[in-house]
Amino acid sequence: MSENEGENISPEQVATDQALRKKLEHKLGSGLVTEVEPRAYSSNEVNAIVARLQALAEKDYTTKLITAGFTSKAYNPSDDDDDEQACETCMYYLVHRKFCELPELMLPVEESWSCRLWRI
Amino acid sequence: MANILWLQGGACSGNTMSFLNAEEPSACDLVTDFGMNILWQPSLGVELGDDVKNILTNCVSGETKLDIFVFEGSVVNAPNGTGEWNRFCGRPMKEWVRELCDAADFVVALGDCATWGGIPATAPNPSESEGLQFLKRANGGFLGADFTSKAGLPVINIPGCPAHPDWVTQILVAIATGRAGDLALDEFQRPKTFFQSFTQTGCTRNMHFAYKVSTTEFGQRKGCLFYDLGCRGPMTHSPCNRILWNRVSSKTRAGMPCLGCTEPEFPFFDLAPGTVFKTQTVMGVPKDLPTGVDKKGYIKLTGAAKAAMPAWAEQDIFVV
Repeated sequence: MSENEGENISPEQVATDQALRKKLEHKLGSGLVTEVEPRAYSSNEVNAIVARLQALAEKDYTTKLITAGFTSKAYNPSDDDDDEQACETCMYYLVHRKFCELPELMLPVEESWSCRLWRI
Repeated sequence: MANILWLQGGACSGNTMSFLNAEEPSACDLVTDFGMNILWQPSLGVELGDDVKNILTNCVSGETKLDIFVFEGSVVNAPNGTGEWNRFCGRPMKEWVRELCDAADFVVALGDCATWGGIPATAPNPSESEGLQFLKRANGGFLGADFTSKAGLPVINIPGCPAHPDWVTQILVAIATGRAGDLALDEFQRPKTFFQSFTQTGCTRNMHFAYKVSTTEFGQRKGCLFYDLGCRGPMTHSPCNRILWNRVSSKTRAGMPCLGCTEPEFPFFDLAPGTVFKTQTVMGVPKDLPTGVDKKGYIKLTGAAKAAMPAWAEQDIFVV
């Protein structure tokens, strides 16, 4: 990270994010089964999943991962690399903070992760 | 001296309210500086009843020269094409509109309802509303595609919900001062001087649009409203960020998405639940991309923009 990056984020927040990111990574790496499919390809499907997320407690991270269908690798619905649905290209992803800013998720993530609410 | 008559059909009076807030020039300037004679206007006219009817009758007969006829609101045809749901001065408004359009040198449709039908014409369109010369994108409307006023121009469409007051007064001044020939109109008969550029042109969020940073809540100063909150600024033709509202702001500057109200399809998606203030997507890609951009290019651009994004783009850089 360069000296200007993340200047609005305190060192404490960076550390908190990092710790939670590791925790989530561990969950995904330990075989947590998430709702990867069906993908939320229509606005109605997106709204339905978001509504489920809104009902969750802020710190119910496991259910958030399951409901949003997180994976630790980018989801690719076809052979076309352009279709790869990684957090890296998602609108809700803050590149420098490595953070998903979808209000219903608000999770530290890795750029290579993916979820079915991916939006470009 | 240019005589102006202004009537309302299926209208909320929003365009009149907007017009009365005009500043450059103001509604008063039209009279004092540009020699306009407002024969009657729903919020300004002092005549009532038969006196109004006489004004209209004299315009239709030619006894009073009608230079500019301004119509605000949709043409209401219900029930069953009779127009009886919108009567004015003893007969269906649509009958007055037809005769006054034929009598006028210039016809100006003001606001979405008069231009394309607007909200009243949203499906299932119970009032059988249509615009003067369009119904949504379809050319024709109430007067028909071939209509031209006495001066040889089609209806001059000034859309918006409402139209910005200065768009109205500046077009009226152009016509009244003999410069109507300078008005270049686009395919929807909108003056290009206002409707060639995009709402996004001049938007203070363009940096965030470029780096693909999304606003996630209304009123948020950071981010672009296009990606998640349904902003139609990149696809909408209007000068809302060039000719500011009340001289100080615009929807997008205030943190609200552009609704695309100067385009014929407004209100988009027929106001179906979940479509307002929410970007509609198919497989995660916006259904409506910025004008001229294809899906492949959009995806490639997003990848590049995200990769190049500076840290400040993720933060609120506006200090109060």
